[in-house]
Parts: sequence; structure tokens; C-alpha cells
Amino acid sequence: MKVFVIDANKCSGCYNCQIACKDEHCENDWMPYALPQPHSGQFWMRVKQKDHGQVPKVWVEYTPWPCMHCDDAKCMQAAPDAVYQRDDGLVVIDPVRAKGHRELVDACPYGAVFYNEELDVPQKCTGCAHLVDEGKLPHCVDLCATGALRFGDEEDFAEELARAETFVPEEGCKPRVYYLNLPHLFVAGDVWDPEANEIIEGAKVTLSMPDGSVRETATDDFGDFYFRRIDAGTYGLRIEAEGFKPVERPSIEVDKSLNLGDFPLERA
Amino acid sequence: MSDIKTTLKTMGFCGPCTASDTAEIDVRDGRILRTRPFSYVEHQSADGLNPWTIKVRGKEFKAKEKTELSPFALAYKERVYSPNRILYPMKRVDWDPEGERNPQNRGRSKYVRISWDEATDIIAKEVLRVKEAYGLNSILVQSDGHHLIKTIHGPRGTEGYLLDQIALKETGVELVNDFWMHEDEQGAVQTGRVKGGGYTMQARNPDSWEGWYWGAKHIWGQDPVGEGDQYNLFLDVANNCDSVLFWGCDVETTPWGWGGCFPSRYCFFLSDIGVKQIYICPDVNYGAACHADKWIPVLPNTDSALQLAIAYVWIAEDLYDKDYIESHSIGFDWFVYHVNGGDDGIAKTPEWAEGVCGVPARIIKALARHWARHNVSIAHCNGGSFIRSTYSHEPARLEVALLGMQALGHPGRNQVKMMEWQLFGLTSQMPAPRSELIPTLNDILWPYAADQRESFVPETLIPEALAGDYDHDHPLTWYGVTCAGLPTEDQFVKYQYPVPGSERIHMVWTDSPKWTSSWNGGFEFMNAIRSEHIETVVAQHIWMEDDCLLADIILPINTKFEERDINCDISSGNYNVLMIEDQSIEPLGESKSDYESTLEVARKLGMYEAVTGGETVEDKIRRGFEGSGIQNRISFEEFLEKECYVVPTAKGWEKDKAGFQRFYEDPERYPLSTPSGKIEYYSPRLAEHFPDDAERPPYPHWIEKGETHPDERLTTPRAEKYPFLLVSNHPHWRLHSQMDDCTWLREIETCKVMGPDGYRYEPVWINPADAKRLGIEHGDIVKLYNERGWTLGGAYVTERIMERAVLQDHGARIDPIVVGESDRGGTNNLIAPKAVASKNCAGEVTSGYLVGVEKVDVFELARQYPEAFSKPYDPDYGVLQSAWFDLD
Repeated sequence: MKVFVIDANKCSGCYNCQIACKDEHCENDWMPYALPQPHSGQFWMRVKQKDHGQVPKVWVEYTPWPCMHCDDAKCMQAAPDAVYQRDDGLVVIDPVRAKGHRELVDACPYGAVFYNEELDVPQKCTGCAHLVDEGKLPHCVDLCATGALRFGDEEDFAEELARAETFVPEEGCKPRVYYLNLPHLFVAGDVWDPEANEIIEGAKVTLSMPDGSVRETATDDFGDFYFRRIDAGTYGLRIEAEGFKPVERPSIEVDKSLNLGDFPLERA
Repeated sequence: MSDIKTTLKTMGFCGPCTASDTAEIDVRDGRILRTRPFSYVEHQSADGLNPWTIKVRGKEFKAKEKTELSPFALAYKERVYSPNRILYPMKRVDWDPEGERNPQNRGRSKYVRISWDEATDIIAKEVLRVKEAYGLNSILVQSDGHHLIKTIHGPRGTEGYLLDQIALKETGVELVNDFWMHEDEQGAVQTGRVKGGGYTMQARNPDSWEGWYWGAKHIWGQDPVGEGDQYNLFLDVANNCDSVLFWGCDVETTPWGWGGCFPSRYCFFLSDIGVKQIYICPDVNYGAACHADKWIPVLPNTDSALQLAIAYVWIAEDLYDKDYIESHSIGFDWFVYHVNGGDDGIAKTPEWAEGVCGVPARIIKALARHWARHNVSIAHCNGGSFIRSTYSHEPARLEVALLGMQALGHPGRNQVKMMEWQLFGLTSQMPAPRSELIPTLNDILWPYAADQRESFVPETLIPEALAGDYDHDHPLTWYGVTCAGLPTEDQFVKYQYPVPGSERIHMVWTDSPKWTSSWNGGFEFMNAIRSEHIETVVAQHIWMEDDCLLADIILPINTKFEERDINCDISSGNYNVLMIEDQSIEPLGESKSDYESTLEVARKLGMYEAVTGGETVEDKIRRGFEGSGIQNRISFEEFLEKECYVVPTAKGWEKDKAGFQRFYEDPERYPLSTPSGKIEYYSPRLAEHFPDDAERPPYPHWIEKGETHPDERLTTPRAEKYPFLLVSNHPHWRLHSQMDDCTWLREIETCKVMGPDGYRYEPVWINPADAKRLGIEHGDIVKLYNERGWTLGGAYVTERIMERAVLQDHGARIDPIVVGESDRGGTNNLIAPKAVASKNCAGEVTSGYLVGVEKVDVFELARQYPEAFSKPYDPDYGVLQSAWFDLD
């Protein structure tokens, strides 16, 4: 059974995968798996983009987002006669049988099904089944230069799948697209001594987590601290440095990545 | 899939003989089906590949088994089939070579279709007329290309070659094309010089490298372009660097057009092995977005202040290598004198710099100490405010000054380039593992329009030449642009236009109709080319865009997919490849290659044989192969059959000294190319040739303002009216001004902003705090303006840009509102300063200049300019051809 494995740590946001999908499917007919994709506006492989943080602690998260090829796909449930899962795990909307099945668009919790108004048919990523049949890679994977996108047999990725995540797990669709190293959110800041106008290196920074546990770090040689891969919730922060009065920041509401800014410490 | 035919095409855009991004193009039923990476492994010869691996701390970075194509390579298929393709020869409807020429209407008038026969008749007649009336030097040839890297099919001066043959026939003075640089045994670069020719050349200024060329060459030499030696630096950086400073450098943008995605993969590898990547730039550029461990925002073109403050900390805290300075440099005292304010009364303290560059003093100090205590290299990708603004020579030579203070050439302390590998075919420009051979096709290249003829005008001064009040007695003069890449001495030569005995320009023939959207002060170009002096404008181009709108005759050119050619890929980083680029599809419409177009005109002038030299395209391919270097490895017949040869990695590459390591170890035996052979903190050459130049003094300076740019800073008075510095990087979703009509790029969130009027505007990044102050919301349409005119953009409110700076990429396709005054496309080159980099440096200033920003109501503008706002338009492609062409 095939899987897609997407490593967020290796995605440069080049959009090659999104464009490759269009290169392969726009104006090209790959029956029996797919009719041509409209020239614009549909994203069978979409790259999602999200900015994190505030100046000067800012970076961008990119998430390649194809059809998830779910084992328990909602589209299959919505139109069992028109959608099928191949033996290799790829989920295909039959372009002939699915004609007019507009409801498939809303059935997918991933927003991965699109409606082709001109051909009157729902469409989505086929995993480039026509290429996979020839022992080739899906076009998007072939064009990924950095190794962020991989495709292959589930057993070959077993070790990595054990620590992978999937999206919208609460829908219970059992997706076959797995994500490694998803960044989640961060809180960050920098610590300095306004009297000397110098950064403070080695300040102890403690983050109280929503579950009551704590994480600890120290500022680096720019005075910066980061807590990465946290989720939304209420956090508390404490900064301590020898010779300075500690600073407390209780009740930090995190619903996006936050640069908490600079923390000038008062001398003790 | 037996019905699929596959052809090889290089999809990079660097220049002839320096192509990249080889792709396998699948074609079915005469149409391009898809674009795939080229497999090195499947195409290797019996010589094998000798694949390289960089092993560091248990991790491996290996040569890739296939090419690492950029999004441009993939989206190019759309460019081939763009509705914007010019398919027939066209003539401006109100230009009559026998009557009224109406130059004032260029940019406003429509075009009608004519035949090739009529078009070439007109051009041939105009050439002869101008020749008789004024002389051939009154024809300006603008040549660079469509940034499709072709070899035989041009463009790069095919039309000029024809004019040169006419001159040759009459004068017997042979013009030798010897632009190409050669390395002697010591690695020094040499060039040839020539005179003669049959046209005035638009000379390529060092646009990619401005500051390095005009500044760094005077402190460390480094011909041809002023950037550092690259030998084996990817191994050195991986092995020895603790940190790399990506200074005004975007590894996820510029390399796409000049090499592909290799740098991206390398930077992820640096993260894997714990090399810290620090980005110093006003914006979270696309490289910083995914690779930066730290971003230090600096206001556009204030890097000099930051650099001087770093030097100040090092000097004050004794954090630099005094022994190295003693043995490897001259004139360091002058530099210290300036740092401490001896000459200008300003001690370059971090506190002073904070007020100029916007980086907090404490961060400047931290950066200075971090740098001094670690092995730090600096990475570059050209472009942006760091190297293309006013006085760009200063940040460039200050960087060398700082590298020198930390013992340039010490393991892990170099300047590394993330693109333009093996530039000009030089091994000194290769940071990746060395290839056994760099193939070349110089034998069959066109003159490249970069020779050293007598009559030429630098790119940056073209509007002045077209319409300015100059003659022999009062010529336009400048120093040192004859073509990018010449030795430093060229900068001390004063040139003039018109040359003695020649008249001014009366005809323009361009194969690079991109001046308005690529260079400095495009509105002035628009106005200049509409002057009465300019009687005829011929443009040959593939798409109806930019300066084509200003032409009288337009010739339809085809893409490389429609031609058979030979090419070499040397800029991709993995392996070098020589290949046949076979014809993929039939030419669209009546389009021809630039070479074929030139032959059509040559036929009318009785010069056909003179241009072909009696050779067919196949003959040229064979001759190119025979001089490529590959001819000693396989036969021509085998090459034709396999269509390519992949060059293996050199054995023993691991042992190559890295970057400036030889100079570091033994400066007497391996001197720099400066007169003293050392780092010249004080340049006696500059002092001798330009003793009174306060804008580029003999030693590096902080230059806030001067006679050329008295008022282009946030600290100077115009900033009250125009309170933002514009960052105009190389475009992320274009190749300069190419590809702005590709749907698959245009629909990406960061490529265009959809306006309420259904028009896709070029984004303007603005910090949320600035946006709030100006009442601008994400998606609003804004005007970007100064006294040179205005253009529009879609507000992209983001934390990816610091306050007081706004960002709009350069090179959007122009969409004039009022020709010479205003533009809808977001082509900010139109409002860039016309003045050159500094008094004696004819470089461009296309980033880091002052603009105002205000919200506009596009519906109100549409009422005000009904014609401009009602052109046929499709948001997927932009303005449609029918806005200009009457094809019915």
C-alpha cells in the first residue's frame, strides 16, 4: 500500500508540487483516472502557507496538501459507486461514474475535491495513478528537489510513520498522507540589560505548559529564546538571570506563534 | 507511452554557455505534455559520473541523481502557449516610414498585422536609409535576450551581427568577438579589446553585481565581477563554518532562474549539521522564510552603517586578526581612521548605527562578537538593496573589509555564492565539487553584444543617449562600462557618446525589449524613445510586453522549444552537461528564431551568406561540439545519438584548497589581483584616478548623501514626502520581467493580490504597524509614488517586512496608465532613480530608494482613466494582446 510522506522540515515553499500537478493534469487527459484539470483555480496539490511570529522573529510554514487518499474516505462513503480505492491505496474518483456528483466536494473534510463546471465532474489528486501504474513517481514527488515529498510503500517508511502526524484525525478517515516535523506554534523573545545596552546570554527561561508541566531553555548569544512545537493554550513565562530581578509573564494566551518582544531586565 | 517523444531543454536563464536546469520535455501529438527533471544517472556515459558526497558530522550531502528544476522551469510550458505570444509581424498603425512617424504615440497606438516580406522590406530599407543619412552608428542595438538560453538561435545580437557584416563589407575592419574571459595559469582573468562594428551597442553594465564591481574590485581585485573565489566552498562551509550570514541574500529566489533548487537542498543540509543561518535584510525573504535561524532586519541600503559599527566593536574590543591585517593588507589605518570618525567626526558606534540602520545597538554588538568568536562566511545571491542601491560600492567593499579583519581565507571564513556557479566558465567560480571539465560553445556563439566596439552606451544611460542634448562637442561621458566583467582598469577610462565622427542615435533595434521594466527610471526611457530623434524602433520578441509597446515594427520570435540547438548546462551544481536541444514542437504562428529573423532581413540586404558564413544550423552544431571540450571524449556521431554527455566529477576534488585559502596561507605566492596583491583598505588606484570623488573615496565610507544622490535616505528631507525605502528584490515569481503572464504562478498567494476590480496587482509588502498608520488593509490597492511618477500594487500586510520599508519585487509587466507618468502593473523600475550609482560609477539604482505609499480607490481611478482601465484583461494572464493588436 502506498503512502505520501511529507517532511515539513524540508519544504522550501517552492510550490513545485502545486505547479507540477498542473503541468501533469491541465489540458492532459489521463483516463480512466482523470479528465483534464481546469487551467486555473483548482489545486489537486495545494501548498498552504502560513506566516508565524512578529518582527524580528518570523518565519513561514508551508504545507503541501493533496488528497489524503483515506482508507475510510468520506467521498467514497458519499458516492460508493463513483469513488474507489485501488489495491495500492490510491483513492480515485471515476470520471465517468462521478459525473454530476457535486456533493463530493463538500463531503471531503480536507477540501481536496474540486468541481469541474465545464466537464460537470468532481476531480481531485489521483496520486498520478497513470504514472504509478508504470512504476513511476507522482509528478509532484518527482519535482520535489529537497526531499520534502516522498511516495512509496508503507512498509519502507515504517520507522518514520511511527512518529508522523495526519491532519483532521478527528474525522477518522485514516488518511494515507503522513506529515513529519510539523512545526505547530512557538513563543519567543529576547532578554537584555538596558543599563549596559547589552543582550543577556544564558538567562534561564521557563515556560509553564497548559498541562502544568514546565519547559526550560537559556538565551543564546543574541539574547534570544524560543519554545517551539507548542499548541494553542494558556502559558506562563519566567525569566531569571544572575544579578537581575526576575520577570514573570503569567497567562499568555497562545493562539498563534508569538514573539513576546524584548525583555529589559532590571538590575537586582 | 510510446507515443511520447522526449527532448532535452535547459530551463535556466543565466547566459550563453552558462545554462542550467536541464529538463526532459515530453511531447505528445505535437504538444508539450510535461516537464521532467533530467536524469544524470540514466544519461551517464561509459566514463561514469564519479558522484560526489560531502560528509560532515555523520550526515551526507550528495550529488543529485537528477536535475533540481525550479518552478520557472515547470511553468515555462505556459509561457510557450501564452495568449500573449506574438505570432505575426506587426506594424504600429500610425507609423509610416514614408510619411508621418508619430513618435509621440509610441506606447499608445495599436498595431496591425503585416507579412514577413513587408516587415523585412521595411527594416532593410530603414537600415539603408539611416546608414546613408547618418551612418550605421546611428542604429542602437539593444541586445541581451529573452533570457532563454540559446546558442545558435540567438538572440544576443544576431541583428547586430548583420549590421557588423554590412560595416565589414565596406570598411574591411574586422570585429573580433573576444568578450570571453580566459584564466592564465595563475588564475588571472584576461580579455581582448577590439574596435569597429556597424552599430552603437547598448553595453551590458554589471547589473547583477553592481556594488561588487564598482566597490569590491578596488579592495580585493577579483575580476571579472568583484565577488570572491568560490573553489570548493560547499565543502569548506559544511566542514568549518559555525554560522553563515545571508546578507541581502535570498537562496529561494535568485538561484531559481540561474541554477535551480540545489541551494535550497544545501541550506537544509546546513541546518541538519547545525550551521547557523543568519539573514540580514529588511524582509523575511523566501530563503529566510524557511532556512533562517535568525533574522536581523536592517533598513534598505543602510548596511554600511551596520558594517562600520561591527568594525567599531572589533577595533574597540580587540576582536580582529592583527597579524593577518599586517601580512595581508595595506592601508588599514585609513579605515580605522574613518571608523573612529577621524575624517567625518562620526564615531561609527553601534549606538550611532542603530539610528541609521534600525538594528538595536545591543544586537549589533552581539553580532560583532558572535562573528569574531566563530568561523563565519557570508553568502550572496545578488540583487536587492544591498548591492543595487545608491553608493552600492560601499557595502560591497565594507564586506571585504570585515572579512579581511577576520582573516579571509581561513577555513570557514569566505564569501560564498549560492548561484552563478562556474560563471563565465571559470573554475574559480565553483563552490560545489569540481567537474572534470567545463564544456563551452564559445566557438559558435553570436557576438553576445558585449564586445568592445568604439560606439556604445551603458544600459543605465540609454534615455540620455536617445533624447539628451548631446553631440561631439558636448558628448555624454562616463567611466568604465564597456561590458560587465572587464578588468578593473576599465573603470578608469572615460568614454563618450556620440563617438567622434558619428551622429546621434536615430533608430533602435532591440532583441531585449525590457528596458522599462528592468533598469533605472523607466518612465524617462518611455519619454526618450518617443522623442523626434528616434525615427524607427524595431523590436523582436516572443511576447507582447514591456518595450514592445513602444516599437514601430515587431517581429514574432519563437521559444527554444520550437528550435533545434546545442547547449551546455554548467550552473546546476551537480554535473556539467553538453546536449542537443532538439526541436520539441513546430513554431507557433509565423514565429521564427532571432537568428532566422536576422537571416530574413539579411536576405533583403544581400547579406545572407555573410551572416550564415555558409553554414547550416547542423554545421554549427558540429562546430560547436568540436570545440566544446567533449570532442575528446566521445565522437560527434555518438553525441548526436545520445543527445548529451554528462561530465563526471574530477577525482581528488576533496583536496582542492577552498575559497581564498591559498591567499590566506601564502599571500606572497598567491596574491590578490590588486596592484599590491593584498587587501587594499586604501586603494592607491582610486586615489590616483579619482582624487576628488567624495562619493567613492579611496577607502570605504558611510556615504549618506552626495552630489549624485543628495536626498535618497530616510534621514534626508525628501523622506518627509516619501517616507518609505523600497526594497525591490529580484522577483520571486518571475525572472526579472519574464513570466508575468504565467497563470500557475499568478494564482499563488504571494505572486499577485486580487483587487476589487478583478485585476491582479503586484504585491506591496507593508508592516502591520505602518499599514495601520496609513489606514491600509490587506488586499487594499495602493499607489507607490515619488516625483518620478507612480505605479500601483496590492497591499500585502505582513510581519515579513520591517517598519519604514516596503517591498515590491521589480520587473512586473508594464501596463501604462499615462505613458511616461503612471502605471498599473506595479513596475517600480519606472520610478527608480535615473541617476547612476555614484559620480563615476554608471551602475543602476533599482532598490533602496524613497517612495510614498497611499491607499487608492481603483474605481475612482477607472473613472479618471477610462481607457487605461478598460483594456481587455484576464486575471490569469494579465492584459490581453487584443489591447494592442488588431488581428481581425
